[in-house]
Amino acid sequence: MRKFYSMVTALLVGFALTALTGCGVDDSRLSILKVYNWADYIDEDLLSEFEEWYLEQTGEEVKVVYQLFDINEIMLAKIERGKEDFDVVCPSEYIIERMLRNDLLLPINKDFGTTPNYLGNISPYIHRVFDKIDGHGKDANDYAVGYMWGTTGFLYNPKYVTREEVSSWSALWNPKFSKKLLIKDAFRDVYCPLLIYAKQQELASGAMSLDSLMYDSSDASIALVEGLLKRAKPHVAGWEADFGKEIMTKEKAWLNLSWSGDAVWAIDEAEAVGVELDYVVPDEGSVVWFDGWVIPKYAKNTKAAAYFINFMCKPENAIRNMDAIGYVSVIATPEVMDYMSESAVESGCEEPLDVRYFFGEDADSVVINPAMYPDVSVINRCGMMHDSGARTANLLEMWSRVKGDNLNSGMVIFILLFFGCLFVLGVVRKVRRRRQRNRRW
Amino acid sequence: MKKFFAQTYLWLLLALLYAPIVIIAIFSFTEAKVLGNWTGFSTKLYTSLFQSGAHHSLVRAIENTLVIALIAATVSTLLGSVAAIGIERLRGHKKMVLNTLNNIPMLNPDIITGISLFLLFVSLGISQGYTTVILAHITFCTPYVVLCVLPRLQQMNPNIFEAALDLGATPFQALRKVLIPEIKPGMISGFILAFTLSIDDFAVTIFTIGTEGLETLSTFIYADARKGGLTPELRPLSTIIFATVLLLLVVINVRAERNRRKEEEAAR
Amino acid sequence: MKWLYKLFMKRSSWSFPYFIFLLVFVVLPLVLIGIYAFQDAAGKFTLDNFSKFISNPEAANTFVYSIGIAIITTLLCILLGYPAAYILSNRSLCRSRVMVVLFILPMWINILVRTLATVALFDFMHLPLGEGALIFGMVYNFLPFMIYPIYNTMSKMDHSYIEAAQDLGANPFTVFSKVVLPLSMPGVMSGVMMVFMPTISTFAIAELLTMNNIKLFGTTIQENINNGMWNYGAALSLIMLVIIFATDLFRDNEEDRATNEGGII
Repeated sequence: MRKFYSMVTALLVGFALTALTGCGVDDSRLSILKVYNWADYIDEDLLSEFEEWYLEQTGEEVKVVYQLFDINEIMLAKIERGKEDFDVVCPSEYIIERMLRNDLLLPINKDFGTTPNYLGNISPYIHRVFDKIDGHGKDANDYAVGYMWGTTGFLYNPKYVTREEVSSWSALWNPKFSKKLLIKDAFRDVYCPLLIYAKQQELASGAMSLDSLMYDSSDASIALVEGLLKRAKPHVAGWEADFGKEIMTKEKAWLNLSWSGDAVWAIDEAEAVGVELDYVVPDEGSVVWFDGWVIPKYAKNTKAAAYFINFMCKPENAIRNMDAIGYVSVIATPEVMDYMSESAVESGCEEPLDVRYFFGEDADSVVINPAMYPDVSVINRCGMMHDSGARTANLLEMWSRVKGDNLNSGMVIFILLFFGCLFVLGVVRKVRRRRQRNRRW
Repeated sequence: MKKFFAQTYLWLLLALLYAPIVIIAIFSFTEAKVLGNWTGFSTKLYTSLFQSGAHHSLVRAIENTLVIALIAATVSTLLGSVAAIGIERLRGHKKMVLNTLNNIPMLNPDIITGISLFLLFVSLGISQGYTTVILAHITFCTPYVVLCVLPRLQQMNPNIFEAALDLGATPFQALRKVLIPEIKPGMISGFILAFTLSIDDFAVTIFTIGTEGLETLSTFIYADARKGGLTPELRPLSTIIFATVLLLLVVINVRAERNRRKEEEAAR
Repeated sequence: MKWLYKLFMKRSSWSFPYFIFLLVFVVLPLVLIGIYAFQDAAGKFTLDNFSKFISNPEAANTFVYSIGIAIITTLLCILLGYPAAYILSNRSLCRSRVMVVLFILPMWINILVRTLATVALFDFMHLPLGEGALIFGMVYNFLPFMIYPIYNTMSKMDHSYIEAAQDLGANPFTVFSKVVLPLSMPGVMSGVMMVFMPTISTFAIAELLTMNNIKLFGTTIQENINNGMWNYGAALSLIMLVIIFATDLFRDNEEDRATNEGGII
């Protein structure tokens, strides 16, 4: 009995604790900043440094409450349907577009008074990409500030795959890589590049512009891409969600359609175990992706949120974030360029690239990691993915048709046999019971 | 001889169950980010785990996970046991309805349970956080407790309880002296299962976790897996948690064994 | 006050608090999600989600396939778990009670970490990932849920029944099939519930252990939800619930009749 009582007391204490942590929120909401971000996507020391910096700049105290999400749509659902009061969030480009269209974002107040405004450090290229976001009349540059960006391409193992072979998306159905090929399980990032591949002639002749093609999710285009993917399907070893980099470093696969951010991570890790990997964007073109900071509609502390975004654009903070997470920041000051160039030289890059599009006029030949900052010739062939709205369902259906199901006749026979046995067993039992009863009578 | 075979079987099964854990333990002594790559012996992951700073959130996540699991498992055990005592006496349609309802949380994919509870809390206007996570965990843990306790009740001779009442025991006494001892092992199993389920859950937690910065171990791990792979520090962490629990168990076991032997000797 | 006491005396009314709890935390949320199943993205009433399921063979095939995998997993769990539970509950074969807890301990390591370790294990032994790995992972993950309830009922079993049967000249096989098995049946049924049901709707295990080549029904639902298609996802899970409970209903009727006829024991 004593045990029972101690259990009850433990419970009561537990609930009292939860009640305590539950209250006392509203009165001091302005001293709290709720940040909702991807895991491992920031140098976490910067969070506490922001608190100090904010106090210095505005004389106000703020405490950062930091929460992680793993899927864009779950984050969106929590804000859209749950009306949760996150102050600053970091979604991907197509979600920013969707949030903008659905009036879920607040404009970012870029007036920081005496505090220096670091937003100007963002590369003009990123601004141009943001211009392509179609917010139904709203300018995305007013509502979102870039954070990290990259491309989609091939992560490959030069031991088995030559650079020529992966310079085209047709490597996907090259029988040489049969069962050594991984494809990212993200239909958006596969559909768009393959659409560019399928329409390469129209794009080259100028009959179609890349920007307009990126809006195309018509049945005909979906069927076209589906045909290409079905050609690739027999060669696919797996559809990776996040384990592709690991398989690549173990050399169990040679070729992986993946994001540049993942690729950089995998190249580093592979180097540690003595495996060489490389990343390339195929010649036909591809897509750029980016994640950006936004302030959702239900935010309660928009001032601190804007300051937080500003703080993240400080060049030294951008460098620290890049070091911590291995993705490429949108900040394009000379110090970022010098830093990245130095580390590229250290890791053995030699070929100078034209990255003027990103770092401005002086950057016409910089030795820099091409996986992180692609050459301008590559970038010109990269489009920006759009939110496909109601057509998402059709894309997803195509994707599940390609991936297919695994039902085979063996399994069907097994299930039928199983239920058959159950049925027979039931009948036998019943008959026997009836007989027993009859005997009793 | 029979005992030898039985023991061998058990240990073989355990070896199978523990093989992956052994792998984790082995690879916690190397620095490679990827599980399965060996970059030489190193205890760096252990030291970096205990450094304050970046992994502070990991330690807090473990605390949250344990508190939530303890409370959720305790409440579900009580609720589920009481329910099972009642359900066992129900007949016909009522029993069927309750059984069916009891199965729903088990059958529903976690994510559907998570979303439906999320919608419930939102429409009721309950601000989400610790309380909602615990309530959600109780929801999907209790059915397992019911399923652990129910078979014990079904096996029990129903006349014992009635006999106790006939002999003048108050219902409360009958409950304490007859029913509870009968179902106690079921309750313990139920508690352990509920605790385990709660520790492991991700999909329900992520939807009911709210905005107060609450993280559990599994939300931390899943969010982690999406960008840049699992934090390698999870390997030493899992190893430590596991070794601690195992050690605790062995100690308890040895002590219980010694006590039993003493009792046996005393009895002699 | 008196009626309250009377209510307390009647044991069947003890299920009442749980019934209320289920109504609030299971039925009500399910109704909320059920509404989504009958809506389109704009919130208008529609049956499209259901007709889509019927017209798309992939989803239906995946469902049947998941049932098959669930049956195999459940059978294997019984096959492996029943002897284990029998040994664990038998004092003369296994004296230490802690052994039981040992079977559930691996589950205290997070499922994702554990599954990745299983992948590493398969690598290490040069076994291919795929259907075999998937079934291994499923059995590995759900075995404790089979052992526990069976152990529960077995450890409570009245051994005088067995002795009586032996005294009456039954051979070990008859003892097992006529005494031990029927007596442990409630535990087996609980175990089947705990293994079969969650197997259909798991996803992480299949994703990692087959490199996403094999899809289970849980994955399909997950995929739809994660892409913002709540309506179709809700419809799929509703369909699954209905189909499973249709078979469940059938089974329950059979058993109820059996107990009413004074069957089983």
